[in-house]
Amino acid sequence: MSQILTTPPAVGAPRPWKFPESTTTATRAGTPVHVFDRPGQYVATVRVTIAMPLFSEPRELEGVATIMSRTLDEGTELHSANDFAAALERHGAAYGVDVSSDALHVEISVPVSQLAPAVKLLAEAVTRPAFNVADVGRHVTIRLGEINQEKANAGYRAREAFAAHLFDASTRRSRPTAGTPDTIRPLTNVQVAEYYRNNIGPERAHILFAGDATGVDVAAIVDDAFGDWTSSAGPALEAPEPLYLPGDRLVLVDRPGSVQSQLVIGCAGPDRRDPTWGTAAVANHVVGGTITSRVDTVLREEKGYTYGTRSSFTAPRKGGTFTLGGSVRTEVTGAAITDALRILREARDGLTEQEVREAKDSLTLTAPLRYEQADSIVQQVGSNLANGVPVDFADTYMQRIAATTAAEATEAYRQWVGTNGLLVVVVGEAKDVRPQLADLGLGDPIELT
Amino acid sequence: MPLNYPLAEQTLDNGLRVVVSSDRAVPIVAVNLWYDVGSRHEPPGLTGFAHLFEHLMFQGSRNVTSGQHFSLLETAGGSLNASTFFDRTNYFESLPSGGLDLALWLEADRMGYLLDALTLENLDNQRDVVKEEKRQSYDNRPYGDSYERLVKLAFPEGHPYAHMTIGSMADLDAASLEDVHQFFRTYYGPNNAVLTIVGDVSVEDAFDAAKRYFGHLPAIPTPPPAPDGTIGPLTEVLRDDVLDDVPSDLVTMMFRLPPDGTPELDAAGLALDVLAAGQSGRLNRRLVRDEQIAQSVSGGALPLIGGVSFGTLTGIASDGVDLQLVEDALLEEVEKLAEGGITADELATVQAQAERDWLEQLSTCAGRADEISHHALLFGDPNRINTRIDQVRAVTVEQVQAAAREWIRATGRAQVTYRQNENGTAEEAGEQE
Repeated sequence: MSQILTTPPAVGAPRPWKFPESTTTATRAGTPVHVFDRPGQYVATVRVTIAMPLFSEPRELEGVATIMSRTLDEGTELHSANDFAAALERHGAAYGVDVSSDALHVEISVPVSQLAPAVKLLAEAVTRPAFNVADVGRHVTIRLGEINQEKANAGYRAREAFAAHLFDASTRRSRPTAGTPDTIRPLTNVQVAEYYRNNIGPERAHILFAGDATGVDVAAIVDDAFGDWTSSAGPALEAPEPLYLPGDRLVLVDRPGSVQSQLVIGCAGPDRRDPTWGTAAVANHVVGGTITSRVDTVLREEKGYTYGTRSSFTAPRKGGTFTLGGSVRTEVTGAAITDALRILREARDGLTEQEVREAKDSLTLTAPLRYEQADSIVQQVGSNLANGVPVDFADTYMQRIAATTAAEATEAYRQWVGTNGLLVVVVGEAKDVRPQLADLGLGDPIELT
Repeated sequence: MPLNYPLAEQTLDNGLRVVVSSDRAVPIVAVNLWYDVGSRHEPPGLTGFAHLFEHLMFQGSRNVTSGQHFSLLETAGGSLNASTFFDRTNYFESLPSGGLDLALWLEADRMGYLLDALTLENLDNQRDVVKEEKRQSYDNRPYGDSYERLVKLAFPEGHPYAHMTIGSMADLDAASLEDVHQFFRTYYGPNNAVLTIVGDVSVEDAFDAAKRYFGHLPAIPTPPPAPDGTIGPLTEVLRDDVLDDVPSDLVTMMFRLPPDGTPELDAAGLALDVLAAGQSGRLNRRLVRDEQIAQSVSGGALPLIGGVSFGTLTGIASDGVDLQLVEDALLEEVEKLAEGGITADELATVQAQAERDWLEQLSTCAGRADEISHHALLFGDPNRINTRIDQVRAVTVEQVQAAAREWIRATGRAQVTYRQNENGTAEEAGEQE
């Protein structure tokens, strides 16, 4: 019965799978409600996605959107901050907010049995926040402490320096989403409340549900909680296109005491409006998207320079980026960057049929895993809606990936990676790293402390 | 809520315990193996070995070349990884159900025949990768060594939980290829593992496949058990005060707790949740919201099987606030809970949170497979996944207070503090109270 097989057994054809479909209704206030019924998902996620382009923040108050978002649940017209948290958590709910460059997402996860009271509380935070002076002040202080933590974090420093040098200073994304000490310190509840009034309302929102909706009228529960939402904020304004700085450049951020160098290498990339959005993802998978990619095969598996690197194309609503990131041993920083740049540039010469086929298979066949959990569905769809594509975009995207040819993947890659130069950011012990950067052909580094 | 995930179980002739849970909701299948070897099994001089195998197991085996494990599974739509912990090592993949045979074949080939491919070259390369992992996860981040310092204080030298899974780089450097081969021969075999299959497959087909790929593997001699770690609560205060280039001052304390699988541990875990979980926890209310002396607080229990568990409480001081105030407030709340107990409402809240966490953990085939392996390997009973919520719901306020009184006390703790060093260089301060 049992025998030793010396070659891998065949893989059976996958059963058909489609990205889950939603039923869409609207609340009395006109907010679309998308319900993804997922039997067996006993913990539901409800997400309110609100268009909130960050260019709408006054330059001198950047971070006001983040402080506003973080204080939505810190006291409402009906509950104090402590009472609100106690009520929500008593229902077994977890609450969270996320601010991206285009949207605010406010979300709860809750056992379906507690859905109605938890959605009521979610609506209370979104539609009736109090913005008490003390609660806003506390979050300003917490944000200032968080900035200290970010400054100590090599990965954060690298991403921050990358954004600051990839984008022109006129582009909001060249600066931190959550603001800097200068722009955070002056914030009070007055500006926070004003920002809320001008930017948050039912016309800018979508409400998403995923979970086991058996016997539950989700649309009615959501309408009961959000149907009376009123606001003077009309539709959101469209953000301008970002401005990129081109050319090969090198940035060295001194982080004394570092035992590794944190690297980010990258350039501009497509966004979801671009025909290469799907094909570029296939190319990325080949070059740096997985442990078996071209980059990690050398940097991790052959040379042992790193615990692992990853690359990706990511994009908000307008204007994407390509980045390769990871940490490498200090002594091999120059060698690792040399290898990484060589691999990134050589990939422009072409990706093989086999590489592209395997990447497509991996990306399409893993989709049922990625979207098994209720939460992952609303996160993906919420992000897609915030980025200006339709509610069924995830399925369209999968079809585009499945149809990608090797020539298309190579062309997408060539269109973006290395065409207008590559920005290399290194965060590490500058005195040890600096001499290793001389031979990269990128000129003298811009040095930051 | 009552859970009723179906479970079927068989033990193969070679001792491999196989658990199957069929679920046709999504066309995927999760394969999960727990080996009964973790850092607690490592003899002195071999720390980090269990975790090293988490790396070596991807470097090829008799019929699989280096890198092929990843590439075959990724091409079949798989998501895969491995993890090492104090109590066990875990290998897992999820993929479209047509790939079940491939996943089982790969797991069986490395369970039986890893050593055919385990060369000095592989070993040296993965030693380097592990060192980079340690630098990335422990050394190159603020407070990254806090757990290392805490377990060293909280458990006596040589105790199975006194060192972290990453181990000592000196031990890894000193390891010979033969040491590494011997470790594998000691712990890696069908009778020292649980194989769980969850998802889009019938029970019968899953058992047939398990037998087809694992049935021929020989059993290994019964591995030596991990040393008994049974030990009571800490009865003194053990300190490690660090001056370092940290962004904010931080205090973290560790308490020994009862072993996993006991109502006492559930009660102790809920006690820590009342203090530290969520926005409504006592510590967040007092230190962050009301007094504003801390930027953040966190904590919770870490269940372990070997005679003792541990739990932690952590506070990060607000800028300009003396860390001593944070420490004092944490300890005051610890004592208040031990002396005054908790309310029925507080208990209901942390139970409701624990229930959501558990349902979320079981909401994917991969998460369910992991918990089935866990409960089959460490407790001999996979059906505990269906009764877990009832166990947590059965804990009373009296049990929570009793557990806290015995285990979570100001007078019995290990504590590490990090304070900003004005002149910017790291140095060690004193080590005892």
